[in-house]
Parts: sequence; C-alpha cells; structure tokens
Amino acid sequence: MTMKTFPPLGEISDALVIETSQAAGEPEWLTEQRVEAWRFFASAEPPFWRRTDLSKFKPEQVIAAADAAATSLYQEEDLADQGVAFTTLAQALRSHEALIRQYLGAAIEPTRHKFLALNAALWHDGVFLYVPKNVSIELPLTAVFSMPIPGGAIMPRNLIILDDGASVTFVEEYHSVAASDQAFAAPVTEIFLGNDSTLRFVAVQTWGEDVYHIGAQKARVGRGAALEWAAVNLGARVQHIEAETALEGDGSRVEWVAATFAADHQNLLTAPWLRHIGAKTEGHMDFKTVVKDQSYTTFDGMIKIERQSRATVSRLEEHALHLSPKARSDSIPGLMIDTNDVARAGHASTSGEVDEEQLFYMRSRGIPRDEAIHLIVMGFFEPVLDRIPNDALRQRIAEMIEAKI
Amino acid sequence: MNSDLVIKDLRVSVEDKEILKGVNLTVKAGTIHAIMGPNGSGKSTLAYTLMGHPGYTVTGGEVWYQGQNILELEPDERSKLGLFLAFQYPVAIPGVTVANFLRAAINAHRAEEGKDPKETAIPMAQFRKQLREQMAALGIDESFARRYLNEGFSGGEKKRIEILQMAMLEPKMAIMDETDSGLDIDALKIVAQGVNTLYAQHPEMGVLVITHYQRLLNYIKPHFVSVLMDGRIVREGGPELALELEEKGYDFLREEVASA
Repeated sequence: MTMKTFPPLGEISDALVIETSQAAGEPEWLTEQRVEAWRFFASAEPPFWRRTDLSKFKPEQVIAAADAAATSLYQEEDLADQGVAFTTLAQALRSHEALIRQYLGAAIEPTRHKFLALNAALWHDGVFLYVPKNVSIELPLTAVFSMPIPGGAIMPRNLIILDDGASVTFVEEYHSVAASDQAFAAPVTEIFLGNDSTLRFVAVQTWGEDVYHIGAQKARVGRGAALEWAAVNLGARVQHIEAETALEGDGSRVEWVAATFAADHQNLLTAPWLRHIGAKTEGHMDFKTVVKDQSYTTFDGMIKIERQSRATVSRLEEHALHLSPKARSDSIPGLMIDTNDVARAGHASTSGEVDEEQLFYMRSRGIPRDEAIHLIVMGFFEPVLDRIPNDALRQRIAEMIEAKI
Repeated sequence: MNSDLVIKDLRVSVEDKEILKGVNLTVKAGTIHAIMGPNGSGKSTLAYTLMGHPGYTVTGGEVWYQGQNILELEPDERSKLGLFLAFQYPVAIPGVTVANFLRAAINAHRAEEGKDPKETAIPMAQFRKQLREQMAALGIDESFARRYLNEGFSGGEKKRIEILQMAMLEPKMAIMDETDSGLDIDALKIVAQGVNTLYAQHPEMGVLVITHYQRLLNYIKPHFVSVLMDGRIVREGGPELALELEEKGYDFLREEVASA
C-alpha cells in the first residue's frame, strides 16, 4: 500500500498543516479548525492518566498518514439511490460539506486533551455515513482501519449521522495485518442519532501487540432513538478509549455491551460515560473483562443522571474474570444523580477467578479443566459476541478470544 | 474389570471436620441402591466425594471402580470411566447453551488420546436427533436446547436437565443426589420415569439413589437400601427398610445405634 505521510510530529509546523489542507482543496473553515487544533496539540502538555502507561510513547517521533489509505469500506449493496452516503470523510467534503461543517466536532471537543486535538488537526482517514430520513438498511456497513506502515500512525475521523427514523448497522474495526513496530492510532468517532432512529454500532479493536490506541467515541441520541453499542477490545499494547452516550432526547435508550480481553503485558482502559439528559431515557450497560498473564485493565465508568432528566431507568453491570493471579483489573464505577426523579438505577459488579463450582460441574460431565475454562470464558463474552451482526467477523473474534485463553 | 462401585472405609473431612467416618458400601452393577439418611448424615458429602469435588478432603479409605481406585482420578476422568452425578443443586453456566454444553461433554467422552478431536466428535445431525428425542421423552421443550445452562431455570427444570444429561451421556454408574428435593409430584414422576427408562435400556447400569425421603423410592424401586447416619452406614436391607423408616422415622434407628 502506498501512502502519503507527514514528517514526524516534532517537525510539523502550522504552515505545513495549512498547506496540506489547502493542497487537498479543503474548505477554509476546516483549514482553520485544523490549524487551531494543531496549535493546541503543539502547546498542550500530555494528559496525566494514572492508569494508562504512556511512559514509553514518544509522540514527537510519530509519522502520521496524510491520506485515507488506511481506510477500507465494505457494503453489500449499492445504497446511493436511497440517498445513503457511505464514503471517506475526505471524499464526503465534496458532496456533503454543509452537513460535515454542522456536525464535525459537535460531539467531541477537540481541546479536551492533546490527542483529540491531534486527531482534529491531522485526520485524513475516516468514514462519513449519512442515512436519510426513514431509510432503513438491513446489511451492516463496515469500515476497517489498518496500520499501513510499520511504526506509522493513523488518526481516523468518523462521522455517523442518522436522520429521523433512519436505521442502520455500522461496524468500525481497527485491525493489524501483522504485529508491527510501535504504531499509534488516535481515532475519533462522532455519532448523531435523529429522532426515532436506530443504530447498531459495533466497535472492534484487534490491533497487533505494539500499538498505542488512544480513541474517543461519542453518540448523541435524539428523541425516541435507540442505540445498540457493542465494543470488543482485544488488541493493542496500550488502549485508552473514552466513550460517551448522551441520551439527550426524551425516551431515547441505549443497550451498551463490551468485551475486553487483556493478556501478556497489555494495558487496556475503557472509560464509558452514560449521560441521561432527556425524560424517560433508558440505559443498560453490560461490560465484561477477562485478564490473563501480567495484563492490566481499567473500567472507568460513569453514569450521570442530569438535573433536567425525569423517570430515568439505568443499569450498569460490570464483571471481570481473572485467569492468572498476576493479572489486574481495576473497576471505578461512578453514579452521579442530580435529580430526585429516577425510576430505577442499579449497579452490579463482580471480579474474581473462574468459579470452582462451575468448573467442577463441567468436569463431572467429562469436560477437561482447560476446555471448561474455554467454555466459561466464551460464555462470559457471549452477550457481546451475540451482537456482532456479521458471521465472519464474529467467527474471527471468537477465534481470537479462543487463541488468547 | 469389576463394574461394581466398592467403597472401603471412606473417611472425608470438610474444613477439618470429619463428615464421613469410615463408609463401607458396594453398589453392584445392574442394581438400584438407595442411601437414606437424615439431614447432616453425610449423604451429599458422599455424592460429591465420589465425583471428586475439590472441597472435600479424603483422609482415608478407597473407592474402587473398573479396576481403579477412583479417588486418584480427576472428576472428568471419573466421568469418562462411566460415573455420573445428578446434582442436588445444578450449577448455572451463563452464555453456554444446553446444546453446546452437552455436545462438549459428549465429545469429551468420545475423545481419544492421539486422535484429532474433529475425527472423534459426534456428527452434528446425529447429536441433534439424539437431543431432540431425549428432550421429547423427558417433556422438555425444544427451546431449552438454546437456553443458557440452568440460568433462570426452575427447580424442576434443572432436575429434568440433569436427567437429560444423564440420558445423553449414558453412564454406567449414576449417582442421584437428592434428585427429589424441590420437586412437586408431577415433576418427580417425570424425573423418575426418565431414570427408569434409562435403566431399562441399560440393565447393566448401577444407580445410587441418595434421598432423605422414601417418596422417591415409590417411583424408583431400589433393590437395596442402606442407611447413612453420622458418617457411617448403620443398616442395610431391601426395599422394606425404606418403608420401615418412613413409618418409624430415623429416631428409632438412632436409638438402636446408640444402644448397640
């Protein structure tokens, strides 16, 4: 794969950011956004994250992609005659500039931390998905991001917009073809769900063993809209994902499940936030983590029920399974309630080794210990695997999990 | 090889407390043998120990089956030897369907050293047919095949699924641990019928029925009855012993044992 790259981040100037944007024929407002974000990146200190180890990460040496060569899009049918746009974000600037201008950065503030600014400044990869009013797409749409050169970096920017009543399944996948040198990914995904729309969103991270993945995702959910979000995190050396669902519209809801499996020296953090803003919003979170070897995971979750919300239903489940005594999983769940009008809010959490009674029961049926553990781990992740719409992808993920056990 | 289950002077402790204090018992192949006893006599400890639960420490004695002292075997090895335990409290396995669990168990039994497991695995069509037939015989709705094992099942459903597993695995020596507990009379009849059918099909099978009450023995007729009390077998007899216990309660035996 041939691709254009920037010089190392430490050698990039404001002028180069402007020049690259102009050379690509980008609108002026975007050039301005990029250079503003770049200035923030160049001047800001790295974020202080206690549970994400960036000590060996050297941002100034990162060589970022300067085209969309790392983005591959897959769709099973031609959707253009239904008014659906599914293309790279760079391409979509030509056909949907007004929508992009309206929504880009409207969910995730680029100046929250240095790496979000970096994405806003230098993104070239990324997907634009727009589904018009009342259009329903059955077959999943998939965007795969792969590391194009060893030691390289990609900053995909994804913009998903569903108009009122639209319905679609979107899969974003971060995937290494082979284990590579230390590589870096800083993707940002912004999702906007119009009233009564439905999105099944699947986010899969299966990088090779030496990738740093610092990502952000946020969905703003309109009135009566439904989001089903399934996340799978298996790869990377270090992962730091800040994810948020904002249930803004009345009656909006989210079913949010996640599977994380860390082994060896992996350090994987997920920070999901669920904000209840509208009335009668409903949120269910079910996060599953398996840790093995010397790995370390963090679940830094938060449910926030805002003052103006009413009759909220919210439930958080998070469970961790330890396959090795040296592995560590931290759980920092939070619940902030700023209103007296909550219908139901609950939280359940467990963490521990594989249950001896389950093991004995299975072994009493002739199943050897190792295989019993396989079955228990696969069963543990089943609610997440069940949400993966594409058989081949589900099979591949199941095999990756099997191989890790 | 001897297909009788021979328990010799078995002593078992749980957390340093001795529960079984020298149990001697032979369950003959091809017979139904009931063990009765009051609460706390060590009935469940015996069942779990025979299957190899790691929470029970054997401090003395032997259990011989098929020419081996099975106390030296892992639970899965005992299962492959033909032993089966129907649990009093079956364990839920979230995310693992009844069908997948059973297929894994059957394939584990069919696996052979040095052979590709794919070669020895039960053909899918054969498995499905067998499962469908056994479920129908036990009055289990087909939808249970796709449900997660024992998750959210009622007491009666769990016991039926235990018998289903037994029917699919076709053990040579089945231990039923308080299979009647928590069952209403209709469920009890179905479960008992399942055991009886299996026994009729496999007359060489041994069945050890562990129960507190005589009730179950109205439906699964034992050839022999042994009474376990305070960690020892205190009386052995035929089916009439169960009736006598039903009539007189355990206290009369307790007095007899104390005065002996």
